[in-house]
Amino acid sequence: MTGESEANGKSSLMFEMGITEREIAQRKAFLEFGETDIAALTGIHDLAQQYANPVIEAFYRHLLAFDETREFFRDAKVLEKVRNLQRSYFLDLTGGEYGEAYVENRLKIGAIHEKIGLPVKSYLGMYNFYLRSVADRLFAAYQDAPSEALKAYQALLKVVFLDIGLSIDTYIQQREQLIRTQRDAIRELPTPVLQVRERLLILPVVGELETHRARQLTEQLLNSISSTRAKVAIVDITGVPLVDSKVANHLLQTVSAARLMGATVILTGLSSQIAQALVAIGVDLSEVKTTVDLQSGLEEAEALLGYHLLPPAERSRPT
Amino acid sequence: MTESVRVAIGSDIDIVRARQQVRTLAKEVGFTSSELTLIVTALSELARNIVEYARSGEIILDQICQGTRRGLSITARDGGPGIADIDLAMRDGYSSGKGLGLGLPGTKRLMDDFEITSEVGHGTQVKVTKWTH
Amino acid sequence: MKSPILKLGPNLIVSLNSEMTDSDLLELQAVLVAEVGRFRSKGVILEVTTLEVMDSFAARTLRNLAQAVGLRGAQAVIVGIRPEVALAMVQLGLEQRLSGVHTVLDLEEALGVLNREKAEVDPQ
Repeated sequence: MTGESEANGKSSLMFEMGITEREIAQRKAFLEFGETDIAALTGIHDLAQQYANPVIEAFYRHLLAFDETREFFRDAKVLEKVRNLQRSYFLDLTGGEYGEAYVENRLKIGAIHEKIGLPVKSYLGMYNFYLRSVADRLFAAYQDAPSEALKAYQALLKVVFLDIGLSIDTYIQQREQLIRTQRDAIRELPTPVLQVRERLLILPVVGELETHRARQLTEQLLNSISSTRAKVAIVDITGVPLVDSKVANHLLQTVSAARLMGATVILTGLSSQIAQALVAIGVDLSEVKTTVDLQSGLEEAEALLGYHLLPPAERSRPT
Repeated sequence: MTESVRVAIGSDIDIVRARQQVRTLAKEVGFTSSELTLIVTALSELARNIVEYARSGEIILDQICQGTRRGLSITARDGGPGIADIDLAMRDGYSSGKGLGLGLPGTKRLMDDFEITSEVGHGTQVKVTKWTH
Repeated sequence: MKSPILKLGPNLIVSLNSEMTDSDLLELQAVLVAEVGRFRSKGVILEVTTLEVMDSFAARTLRNLAQAVGLRGAQAVIVGIRPEVALAMVQLGLEQRLSGVHTVLDLEEALGVLNREKAEVDPQ
């Protein structure tokens, strides 16, 4: 057992989902799943082995009776394979071993069902079918000792709910993973550097501008200035919902660096909220050319390019 | 993989040599070209402080590994006059010599971690670290 | 490592490289200030395209150089500060120190700036 969990090492689902040994213990404690339950479950293991095949037969008959679930078992080969897996799943319920390897196995099963797209409602329905068919056979076998049967059944309920908890978590985990990936994708969305005309670049920034992306934007802008010999670059932040002081300072640094290289950056599209927020937090953008929108930014840029052989200081000198 | 390099600093030619050394080591760690420039600039400032204020000292470059993070640290050590008021020296615009007074706070901005210890009459040690992102 | 000073019409051109020591930089400053007088140059182009680092010493020396040649009637223009070098300079807090010095993207622009300058000073 330990060998297996060690072999799985850090790539195991348990590790990915942050389910530690302690977490497993807490889940079991909450279900009040203890030694007596384990004893009760192993006590019906022989019975389980005896009925495994008929229960699973009935189980698949039920599954195949509904269009929605039949969809998943079209292929006869697949059906045969899952039938065997289902059998070992069923027998593990009363196997007496509910440690890390058990949990890892349950997570894997949950993940597989999530992957093939089986809806949670069908998944829960399947558990309910299991419990009903086991209950029927269990109480029939223990006709003379119904309290024994009840004890075993309650232990089974606990372990099944442990399983359900784990498999639902795999569904949630996969969804969260998806959300994270999509969020990262949005975050990593590169800002295009558009050359509008000779020596004029426009960077329309859309979306949240956090530190990592701001840094990327800086490198992209400065490298583009260098490679296209741009004299003026317009950074339009109309599509940026929020600018905090950190990002504002980053923009300031970018503007200064561009100036050192010999280019002017014009910041356009500061919303009234952003403008007021920046003033309120004390960010000084007076050194930066800013205009209210892209159009006035372009006009400013063209004026600059028209003058571009005259240094700024010369423009104010009387002729 | 983890390498430590010691460079003696005694004159301005050593600053140039130390810059080349740190560039090579930082490249091995896997820093981007702009990070590389920040590191080399920080080293240049620290090495110059040694030459300017203590005349001689040494710089130790270490490639470091912490979990999945990789980094590079620069330790600049000298037996010079030391800094009496570190808080003051860390203020932008403060100058105790011919420098622009930007050395220390500027260097701190270039790097991720910054530690300084100094004893008047015994010398100064500055350790800065940059981590890969 | 020292760099040759090239004379192109009324301008002097010099390339700075990463192997230059502080003394080399100071020497370059002294030589350029002298040469500007000798050739009665109107412009000094400091080309830094291959310079991989510009620390506080280099920035201060370039500023002093620009001011000194300015006093002798020539304008200094810094050409080709690399993107990553510019960013490091800003983070170090050096951009203010170079605020009086003209920086441009390439040689062509530098010559353009200097020629325009000359045309304005020269009534012809």
